[in-house]
Amino acid sequence: MRAPLPRCLVLLAALLAAGAAPAQVPTAEAAACDAPEELTALPAPLAGVFAALSHTELRILVVGSASTQGGGTSGPAATWPERLAARLGAQAAPVTVRVTVFGGRGTTAADHARIIAEQGPLVRPHLVIWQLGTVEAARGLPPEEMAEEVQDAVARLRARRGERTDILLMDPQFSRFLRSNADVETYRDWLRVAAAASGAQLFSRWALMRHWVEAERIDLERAPRNRRVAVADRLHDCLAQALVRTILQGSPRPAR
Amino acid sequence: MNPPPAAPVRPARDIRVDFLRGLALWFIFITHTPGNLLAHATLRNVAFCDATEVFVLLAGYAAGIAYGRMLEREGWLAAAARLVGRMGTLYVAHIFLFVVFAAQVGFSAAALNQAAYLDELHLDPFGNEPYRALLEALLLRYQPHFLDILPLYIVVLGLFALALPLIRRPAWLLGLSVALYAVTRATGLGLPSWTGSGWFFNPFAWQLLFVIGVLLGRAEPARLLRRFPWQRGLALLAGALLLAAAASLNLVWHGPGFGVQAPEWMGAALSRVDKAALHPVRLASVLLLCWLVGHLIPRNAAWLGHPLAAVFVMMGQQGLPVFCSGIFLSFLGRLALESASGPLAQVAVNVTGLAALIAVAVVSAWYGGEAKRKLTPALPAAAAPARP
Repeated sequence: MRAPLPRCLVLLAALLAAGAAPAQVPTAEAAACDAPEELTALPAPLAGVFAALSHTELRILVVGSASTQGGGTSGPAATWPERLAARLGAQAAPVTVRVTVFGGRGTTAADHARIIAEQGPLVRPHLVIWQLGTVEAARGLPPEEMAEEVQDAVARLRARRGERTDILLMDPQFSRFLRSNADVETYRDWLRVAAAASGAQLFSRWALMRHWVEAERIDLERAPRNRRVAVADRLHDCLAQALVRTILQGSPRPAR
Repeated sequence: MNPPPAAPVRPARDIRVDFLRGLALWFIFITHTPGNLLAHATLRNVAFCDATEVFVLLAGYAAGIAYGRMLEREGWLAAAARLVGRMGTLYVAHIFLFVVFAAQVGFSAAALNQAAYLDELHLDPFGNEPYRALLEALLLRYQPHFLDILPLYIVVLGLFALALPLIRRPAWLLGLSVALYAVTRATGLGLPSWTGSGWFFNPFAWQLLFVIGVLLGRAEPARLLRRFPWQRGLALLAGALLLAAAASLNLVWHGPGFGVQAPEWMGAALSRVDKAALHPVRLASVLLLCWLVGHLIPRNAAWLGHPLAAVFVMMGQQGLPVFCSGIFLSFLGRLALESASGPLAQVAVNVTGLAALIAVAVVSAWYGGEAKRKLTPALPAAAAPARP
């Protein structure tokens, strides 16, 4: 199996070149995060977020598995929830943005539902960003049960908070490895069904990251070892930027 | 106990079944190669059923014919022994595919920098506990993704071996099968898996589809036509239902991407249609499709003789070798699509994959893999009493 090696080297070189150049040019780096509008657009704006933006505080509860905790980045400050707090905070000022993160490696939708039930009344979030599906897909857990957890958790949250809380589901990170070895499409389908059934919205990190991979902008799986942390940092920052666009979509404070 | 000459009673082989089976096997190859763009053109995108349902139904159809005859000729014990032998073949094939799968995962993991975040999740049971994983795979309690059809098939054949004499009493067989299906759906009866969540395909539910296939295979085509005749009104209704299913599935899946939100009741309805225990809607979908196709494609349609259709017929006739090669090839397809996924790679994977499947079918048919081998020993035995 030596044949793919030269191609890999060419790709690595290309990536190195592509990865090194934008680091010095901030505008080019921002362009790397661009994505077609439909990948970040929602069918309806987030009402709870808008209501919060007209007051003083926007509280976001992030629940998820490994990527919320580190995901190969240089540290907690570089993860997408923290980058989101920083970027959204800058745009939403003078409204204070408070992001609370729960979750951990290998946690499933059932664990997340428990966290949301516990933390919901304490945090009283205007937005819940619920990242899930990777662990279920990788372990082959029943997709129907995952969808049921989502529906139940959202229904409970709605019963308590009504329209004051929006729920944004986030699907797995795009990965060729995961795509090959887990039936990811089935789980993504079920996340869409769960979102539709519960009135939640879906932010497709998978589609977004696949776009970046196909456009040869950010490709964590093909990043050379010494650049991997830097690429992960950039990926998480780009995800945060895309999330800001999604969250502020249609709001009086358009994303810059 | 001298049965009358069977030839005039027995209808000729229904090659529509072989054709559809061949098509399903091709679809299984496509959907088992994640990242393959052709997957967007398969049944699962427009219906509540997919190639798995078609495969199980037609497997039942073929088994009903083959083992039904064997039962009549050689009795329950002999036919059941053959079934157990078949289960053994399938089991060995499954374990072989598992080994290929494990090797492919290892290769992929090394080729891609997946360590970045997948390592943290401990996603790879084979990497973490190889000995345990091997044992669990042998016990069929660990079924990696895309390796879940053969275990289902094995258990369903085992149930069939037990119930074989009942094929002379179709109503009893169907009744028992429906009862097991109902109990399974009501109580969650199932087989345990290593991950603690049960099998991906629950054999106690899926056996119903297989049994329906058995009964269809056993039934006389003329009687079947009288029992389920063509009714235009019913056909229009069936067509409308299938279209509605296609529309609602796609609205829920893809609507938000186009700024259209599906109503909550629609999402809630879809969320109840599980595949693991073959939700009645999935069962109904595949049976409706079967009824429509059975009437819309005439038994002796001329185009079935066209070389393009004939290759699928041949693939369908060589079911097991083509199925196993399809899964094996899908592993290679994954490796190819991991290293490149552009248009060229897509075309290469699909052309090579289909060509290889056809080649397997041709070779298998030529040296007499499926079916022929089973018939040959029977012939001298039947001819023996005639000799002095």
